[in-house]
Parts: sequence; C-alpha cells; structure tokens
Amino acid sequence: MIADLFILRQQYVGKVRFSHFDTHVQSSKKVLVATERNVFAALNTRTGELFWRHVDKTGSEGNIDALLQHGQDAVLVVGNGRLLRSWEINVGGLNWEVVLDSGSFQSACLVGQQDMVKHVAVLKKTAISVHYLSNGHQKWIENLPETETVDYQAVYSDGNGEVYVLGVVPHSHIAIVVYSMEDGEIIKQMSVEAPWLYNIQASCVVVGQGMLTCVDSAGVSFYMLDLHLQLQMTQVPLQSLALEVDPGFHPVLLSHQPNPARQPLSEFFLQLGPDHYQLLQLNNGQIAAMRDFKPALLVSFATTGEKTVAAVMSPKNKTVSKCEIERSLPSRPVVNLFSAETGRRLLDTTLIVNMDPNGGKPEKLYVQAFLKKDDSVGYRAMVQTEDHTLTFIQQPGRVMWTREEALSDVVTMEMVDLPLTGTQAELEGEFGKKADGLMSMVMKRLSSQLILLQAWIGHLWKLFYDARKPRSQVKNDVTIENLSRDEFNLQKMMVMVTASGKLFGIDSKTGGILWRHYLHNVPPNAAFKLMVQRTTAHFPHPPQCTLLIKDKDTGLGTLHVFNPIFGKKSHVTPPALPQPILQSLMLPLMDQDYAKVLLLVDDQYKVSAFPSTKNVLQQLQEMAASIFFYLVDSSQGRLSGYRLRTDLSTEQIWEVIIPPEVQKIVSVKGKRPNEHVHSQGRVMGDRSVLYKYLNPNLLAVVTESTDLHQERSFIGILLIDGVTGRIIHEAIQRKARGPVHVVHSENWVVYEYWSTKSRRNEFSVIELYEGMELYNSTVFSSLDRPHAPQVLQQSYIFPSSISTMEATLTEKGITSRHLLIGLPSGGILSLPKMFLDPRRPEIVSEQSREENLIPYAPELLIRTEWFINYNQTVSRVRGIYTAPSGLESTCLVVAYGLDIYQTRVYPSKQFDVLKDDYDYMLISSVLFALFFATMISKRLAEVKLLNRAWR
Amino acid sequence: MLQRERIPLQLIFLQAALVVAWCFTDVETGPGAGVSTQPNGDRFKIEGRAIVPGIKTQDWVSTARVLVEGEEYVGFLRTDGSFAVNDVPSGSYVVEVVTPTYRFEPVRVDITTKGKMRARLVNYIKTSEVIRQPYPLQIRASGPHSYFMKRETWGWTDFLMNPMKDVYSTKKMMLVMMMVLPLLIIVLLPKVVNTNDPEMRKEMEQSMNMLNPNPELPDVSELMTKLFSGSKGSSKAGSSSKGTRPAAKRR
Repeated sequence: MIADLFILRQQYVGKVRFSHFDTHVQSSKKVLVATERNVFAALNTRTGELFWRHVDKTGSEGNIDALLQHGQDAVLVVGNGRLLRSWEINVGGLNWEVVLDSGSFQSACLVGQQDMVKHVAVLKKTAISVHYLSNGHQKWIENLPETETVDYQAVYSDGNGEVYVLGVVPHSHIAIVVYSMEDGEIIKQMSVEAPWLYNIQASCVVVGQGMLTCVDSAGVSFYMLDLHLQLQMTQVPLQSLALEVDPGFHPVLLSHQPNPARQPLSEFFLQLGPDHYQLLQLNNGQIAAMRDFKPALLVSFATTGEKTVAAVMSPKNKTVSKCEIERSLPSRPVVNLFSAETGRRLLDTTLIVNMDPNGGKPEKLYVQAFLKKDDSVGYRAMVQTEDHTLTFIQQPGRVMWTREEALSDVVTMEMVDLPLTGTQAELEGEFGKKADGLMSMVMKRLSSQLILLQAWIGHLWKLFYDARKPRSQVKNDVTIENLSRDEFNLQKMMVMVTASGKLFGIDSKTGGILWRHYLHNVPPNAAFKLMVQRTTAHFPHPPQCTLLIKDKDTGLGTLHVFNPIFGKKSHVTPPALPQPILQSLMLPLMDQDYAKVLLLVDDQYKVSAFPSTKNVLQQLQEMAASIFFYLVDSSQGRLSGYRLRTDLSTEQIWEVIIPPEVQKIVSVKGKRPNEHVHSQGRVMGDRSVLYKYLNPNLLAVVTESTDLHQERSFIGILLIDGVTGRIIHEAIQRKARGPVHVVHSENWVVYEYWSTKSRRNEFSVIELYEGMELYNSTVFSSLDRPHAPQVLQQSYIFPSSISTMEATLTEKGITSRHLLIGLPSGGILSLPKMFLDPRRPEIVSEQSREENLIPYAPELLIRTEWFINYNQTVSRVRGIYTAPSGLESTCLVVAYGLDIYQTRVYPSKQFDVLKDDYDYMLISSVLFALFFATMISKRLAEVKLLNRAWR
Repeated sequence: MLQRERIPLQLIFLQAALVVAWCFTDVETGPGAGVSTQPNGDRFKIEGRAIVPGIKTQDWVSTARVLVEGEEYVGFLRTDGSFAVNDVPSGSYVVEVVTPTYRFEPVRVDITTKGKMRARLVNYIKTSEVIRQPYPLQIRASGPHSYFMKRETWGWTDFLMNPMKDVYSTKKMMLVMMMVLPLLIIVLLPKVVNTNDPEMRKEMEQSMNMLNPNPELPDVSELMTKLFSGSKGSSKAGSSSKGTRPAAKRR
C-alpha cells in the first residue's frame, strides 16, 4: 500500500463533563477535559488540537465520575468509584491506578494540610477512604456511621487537618462526621435539624471559613451552619436581602475553592432564575448582596495567582457603544469580568462571543485567567454549547478554535455528489427545459457557449495570475460558494448526523465543515435514518435529503427535509407523522420533480408516501402489485413480509417466527441498492462458468441464542428471500456467540463471531451459486426461481476481535472487493475478499491454480501493510461508510466513531490512473530513440544498397 | 487482480422494491449486553511491563493502551512502561499492548478461579498448546510497525529480473523490446552472417527461433537470412531453415 495525500483524520473527545485549565505553570497551554464518552484528554489551548488522549472502556465501567487536578497530577474516579487513577499531565502517562472497594461513588476532594496537598479523599455510600496523591496507597479507610439512615453525599476539607463528611437524612437533619486526617479517627459527630433538605450537593456549598450555606428548594431562605462550631442552623430569609427566586425555579449556589488546602472564597453566586444571578458575600456570618446580574446566561469563577475573578456571560452588554449594540445580533452574548472581592467590573475585559446562528445555546463557561505584565487580569474563555461545541475565545472576541464534539458520535452518514459548477449547470439546464422554438434554442445555445468561453478565459487568466505568485500563497480554500464536482467525482459532500441532533456537511477533500445545523428538540434516545431523495443530477431542482428522526420509546417520528449541499431546510413541508413509524423505505420511483418516493409504514400497517403528489400516487397504484417490504420485530422474533395494495393498505404474505425464548434476532442485512455486480459468474479452471446467485431481495438474518452458556450458545444465520419469505439457506454455528458482524453483498455473506470453544474470533463466508446454468439470465424474479442455489461455506480464524466491518464499493463493480475491518487497536484493515473464498482448496490442483485460488489456510493474517490508516489510528470505530467514486478503481471510505477518518482505497490498485511518478521521460525518450533509429537505419540501408549496387 | 470473466449482463431487478436497511430495531443494544459477568466472582489484576528498546517511555506511553480480549478490559501504561489491568475475572484472555508506532506480540494469560496466573504464547490454531511466557508479563516491542510497502520503483534491471509484474510494467517492457530487439537484429545479425562461418550461423538462427517460438508466424531468421545473405545464400538459407524447423516443431 502506498501512502497518499488523501487521508484525513479528525480526533474528537466527546461532550465535556469536567474541564480544568492547567494552572500550575503560568504559561501552560493545556486544558484537561474528561468527557461523557469516557475520554480523558489534554487539549492545546492555542490550537485546539490534542496533546494526548486516553480512551477508556465504553459504558458505565469507564464512566468518569470526578476529575481533580493538583499540579502535574490529575486524579480521576472511574467506573462509579471502582478505580482511582492519577495521570501525569505533561506526557500523558499514568502515575498510578488503584482499585477501590465496591460501593457507589458519592464525592471526592483533594485534602491539604499546611498549604500542601498530599491526599485525596473519596466518599462512597458506606465508607470514606483517603489515598496518598504520590502513589495512590490508601492512608486509611473508615466505615461511615449509621449508613442505614444517613445518606452521605459530600466531603469537604479546607486544610486544617480535618475531613468533613456531610450526609443527610432527607427532610429531617444533616449528619456531619469529622475525621482526623492523620489516622481517620472520628473527632466529632453530630446532627443538625434541617427538615427542608434532601440533597446536599444540589442545594449546599461551603463558603468562607467553613460555613455550610444552603438554600431551600422553595427559595425562601438561606441556612447557614458553621462546620467548626456546629451549633445550629441560622436562617436568613432571602427577602431580607431583597432577593426573589423566579417561580418554579430551584435556586442553585456556586462557590469557589481555588486551593484545596485553603478555605473557599467568601463570595459566591446564587442563581435565582434561568437568566438571573446574584453575587453574594459572607462577612462575619452575615450575607450581603454585592451585585445583581440580570440578564446573565452563565457565571464562572477563575483564579490566577492571588486574584479571583468572576466571569459573567450576558446576552448583550450595556456599556459597549451604541453602534456595537446595533450590529450585535441577539445571539451575540458578551462575557465580562468582575472582581470577586468587590464586585466591580474590571475595565477592558469585554469579550464578545460570536454564536453560530445554527448552533445551540451556551451551556457552560470555563475561564482561563492569567496575570498580564501590568498585574491586571486577562482571560480567555471556553464556551460549551448544548450542541456539544467547544469554542475557545480570546479578547475581544477572536475565536481561537472551535471543536465540534458532536462529531464524536456520528450515527449515520451519506455522501452526496457535489453540484456541477454554475456554467456546467447552465449548459445542463438547457437540455432539461422544454423546447420553445428553433430561434430561441439557437440563441440559448449561443449564449451558453459564450458563457463557457468567458469562464474558460477567466480560468486561464487565473492560472496565469496564480503562476506568478509563490506556491504557498495560492489558496485553495473550499467554501460553500465555489463547491463543484471534480473530474472524477472524488470530492463529495459528507452529510453526517450526530446523536446530539446536529447535522454537518463536510467536504471530503479537505475535511472542512461547510455547514452545520443544530436540530432543537431531538429526543435524547432518537434513532436516525438519512435518505437521499434527490441527487444533484437533476438541475435545476435542488438536491434533497430527508432525515427521519424517531423516538425509540414512543416510535413517533418527524421528518427533516434539507438541501445536503447548503444544509438549509427545504421549503418542502414534510408530512406530520401522527402514528408511530415501523418502517421506511425508498422506492426507485420518482415524482415529476425527480425526487424518489419515500414510503412510511405506521403501526396500523398503513402506508403513506412522501412526496405524495397525484403523480406519485398514480405511479404507486400502478406499481403496487410489485412493491413488497418486510418488517422485523426482534422482541417477538417475528419477520414478516407485506405487499402493497392499490389503496395503499398492506397485506401480509409471509411470516417467519424465530422463537424469542431460544434465539433473538440481532441484525437483518439486505444488499446495498447502489451496488453493481459486473460479472454474473466465475470462470472455473476448466473454462466452464459457475453462475452466481444474485438475488437482490435476499436478506441475511443473524440470530443469537438467549442461552449464553459457553457449551450451549450458538449463532444462526438465515438467508431469506424478502419477497416470498422463502428460506434459501440456514446455518448454525455451535459454541459461538456474538457480537456478530455481517457484510452482505453480491452473492456472498461474510460474518464474524466469537467461538467460545476455542476462544477466538472466526470469520465465515457463505457464497451462493446458481450452478453451471443460469435459469433466466435477463431478469431476476424472486417469484420465479425454482432451483435452490448451491451453497458453499468456509470458515477462518481471525487473530483479533473487530469493531465493525464493511465492503468496498465501486462504480461498476469491476474492481475486486475488499473487506474493511475496524479493529479495536485503531487500525482499519483492508482484507481482500480473495482470502474469504469458500472455494479455496485444501489441496492445490492445476485447476485451482488456473483460477488463482489461494490454498486454504485456517488463519487469516493481519498485515500492517493492509492498514489503510497507517499509524493514524481511529478510536472506537462505529461504522465504515463506503461510496463509489467516478473512477472505477477508487472507493471512498469514511470511518466514524470517536474519530472521523476519510480516505480512498484502491482494491485492485490504480489500474485506470497513471501513477504520479509515471516516467514520461523514459517513454518519450524511447519513442524518440526509436524514431531516430529508424531514420539512421534507413539511411544506412540506403548506403548499403548503393554500395552493393556499385559492386 | 481484476475479475477475469466479463460476461456482459443486465440484471433487471424485479421492481420488488425491497427495503433498504433495517433501521429502527435497536441493533446497538443487542449484542453488547450479552457479555456475562459474575458480580460476585473475584476480580484479578493482570500485570506486566512493555518495553520498546532504545526509546524513552515518555515518548510513546501516552499513545499506548493495553487491550484484554479486544476492548473488554482496558489498561493504561504507567510512565515507566509498566501496566496493570484491574478488575478482570478468572478466565483466559489475550493481552495485547497496542500503539500506533510499535508492534508488540500478544500474550495469552490464564487466570484460575483462585487467582493463579499463567502466561503463554498465543496459538489460535492449537488453542491448548502451552509455551510458557514470564509472568508478570514482559512484552518487548518487536520493532516499528511497517505500514508501507516499498514503492515499486522501476529500473533497467527489472526487465531481466522481474518481467510481467503488472500491466503497466509489461507495457513498458514491450516498448523496450520493440526498441532493443530490432537494434540487435539489425546491428548484430549482419555481422554474424558476414563471418561466413556456417556453424555460427546455424547457432544464431536457432537462437532466433527461440525468440519466435510460434511456428505459424513467419520465421524471423528465415526472413533475415534471406534479406542479408542476398542471392548467393538463397539455397543455403533454405537448407538452414529445414534444419531449424524440427526444432520449432519439437516445442
């Protein structure tokens, strides 16, 4: 495999859950992020790139519960308090990892003593343990008293050698246990009446000199308790401070403890409403209001050196000049800094946040404060929005970088051909329109030819102009305006749908995001299906994609119709879907505007069409008898086939029940509709032809046994004709279990499973052949195929587990096929299908050699030369998307998962392209040499003849 | 590697529009949940160290991971290259250190229910074969990954050493043959013929026949000898061609 320049990798981390700026060095460029996708990473604050990234297991076992940072160490609590890890943040290596005793995690904090932070305390439901920061060893562990009644929720320490554990008996009292840092002995234990409290973490913070400050959920009063004295709660009504909580809003407190070995600040924020904050100060046991922020979107504290500032993001700023306000859109919030001690606004600290109008609302604000040379405070802000975007902004509003973390969770994608250029489209449009008179046609032709000429001259001029400039200055930025298809259709628009509901349009050549669109109110557990209804081939009709968004719980769906090139919502109004949707299918039918028809089947088995014009309905009535579809109900193990009636109702024609007590259906794979098969058969060694069984309606159904015992578990594979319900083939793999990955294409099915008997991964391939004769070579009909196909099967050992699998796809299907296999190690293996061929002989014969069959070997090898991504590993590959390009040899590949990786593969090498090192010199010199040689030899021959004549 | 058979074919699919994909039945939730773990069983720790000879650990540990049986259990490397994968129940696992740059051999680790550990070489074919490896694991990188094949450069020696490698080089070779052979024939042959040594000439003609093995095609040597030996050697040429024919037929 040869390195090429068309590879692109983008690495993501996921939605940020915890973030800390590295502050132990003044000039540090790191920000640590721990995300909801179980990734812990360090980002470069200047560029937004990754310094390093650690990807843990998916699911709850890798879930990051807490991130604490001290100096060069970052301590993570992972897997609901199962593991405690410490990372060295400069190189990104692990310092230590310890297993904690079982018990659900509650809270963790760093513990300091005499200004030195040496320990970390982890609070579990029933126990508290303290570990050394240097090596993770446990200093002490103590069981908490009265765990049956008290719900311990928070742990606090302020550097005086004591650890406070705060628990609550809901609606009764607060329980406080004070442990000695030295040996874990209980120093004090007491309970204080608090009938209004049920959740400490939601409504209490520690402020100032150990003052536990709470606010009740109704928002009536503050309650304060000195942790050192612990006498009684003092109640301060909010009204006495002239504060009022928005009706129905649960007030939230925010405090700040810059150094775990010191006491927290005595200033804190109280959020009174969705856009209303109040800065308060605790002074000698008295709360005083300092400053009111309304409207304010987000607030945050930041500390640098000895100074602490409060950053407040507000929708707009009154102090900036008037023209600024006029220019600023409603979606342009502004961040300002305020001194935490005084509440005064700091001068020249305004930062304008340019929000993407197609993005979401800001959700979190992280502020990196630093001291400037004149000792004033400067800052940069990292804003996280609800569409998982991270934006890092410098004063006065320069966006340093943006990370679209929504792309770490791509659910589905499509590649759409780019449109022709304007001039080409003009020319095409000429043919599309109806003829209107000879003269006007001629005029139109002439004018379009003129436009072409003009464009050509413009192009020549640009070439000439660019040639004079140094190469580095010639920019080839792709913007949405100059998008156009290239000669071989290698550049396409990747339309990506992410789980957060944000859609992206990415240029496949540069990897640049050309458009983004955030869909609000997408349910969190939605399933998506993206369909291309109209491609770019039908100028002047714009291309059209339809996204079906379905709530997995209710089954209710919505349609989002948009233009895949510009991302704009289409003016076509999709139909409302009042009924839960069971199935959706694209028909090859088109309406008069060349949009393919989308059929939606609801739970009443009624079918609705989109678009549903008269033309479409008429076509559907004509075609109804030959439209079949199938439904899968995996919970009841039911596969059923339906046929469309002319009145758009349906009729069940077959049903296969797979008993769900014994085995469950895990996946059903059909063939890809855009797949071409070039050769209908295989030429055998004796020159006869073995014809392939190419049934376009074939479904591969994979089942797994419900019994997971390693002796009794099995997986099954059923090949069913989707029209007639006829079972073509059935295979059972005993002592095997999933996850099963399947690829179904042409006349073969490849699947991978785990063999419990031999504890290894195995591949199996099934190929279907009609035999030496073809029943009906022109038309394939599922209804008229009397002979069952011949089935060949072979299995192989694969020395790794796999994450996903897909087959390459080319324009005409001439190129040999490869399987693209995503490995957990991050490689994407391109395995030639030749190795998975059930006709591989055990004993080599003359005929098999003639056929180029590789002798059977039980083990498939993973050769790193076959990795299409080289050392650019891709984490947690979830899917691989393949698309044909205009070149037969070339297949476009996109792997998505945590990362996105885009490349081109050439399964049969680039047989239709001259290599870039093609030796033009040699070929032309040979030609010239030949030419001269003929000239010379002609001359010599003449001389010789003449001489002979003289003799 | 093209498919050799090219039978033109038009599969007009029955318009039975079969459904494209199966989107709304939860594929993702199915298999992942199938891994059975015994919540009460003891959990053990797989320990070891990965070494890349000659490379400082901090240069590669941040990109490395320890994968136990795929991604079922994941461990990370400490700054000194050692690792521990916690929370692994008893069983038999393939432990692999993966980095984008260095290649490590996988090791199979067996853990008994009592927590006794054993490491052995991975053998997927004879799964019960035991070739002991040290435990705690000592995994030494066997060198950098080779992702790239050497580019097929094309030199003059390729003509002789490795003809017909692919379509492209075959074309080139034909071109060069076209150039070199006539030259040889034009320049060398007359000289050989002019020596008037009949033995030599016979030999030469035979070798020319070798180059042109197909008996149906016009015999190059015959043509050549006719051309160059002129009128005086016409009878001799005839006899010589008789001599060569059997040689050709033998093939």
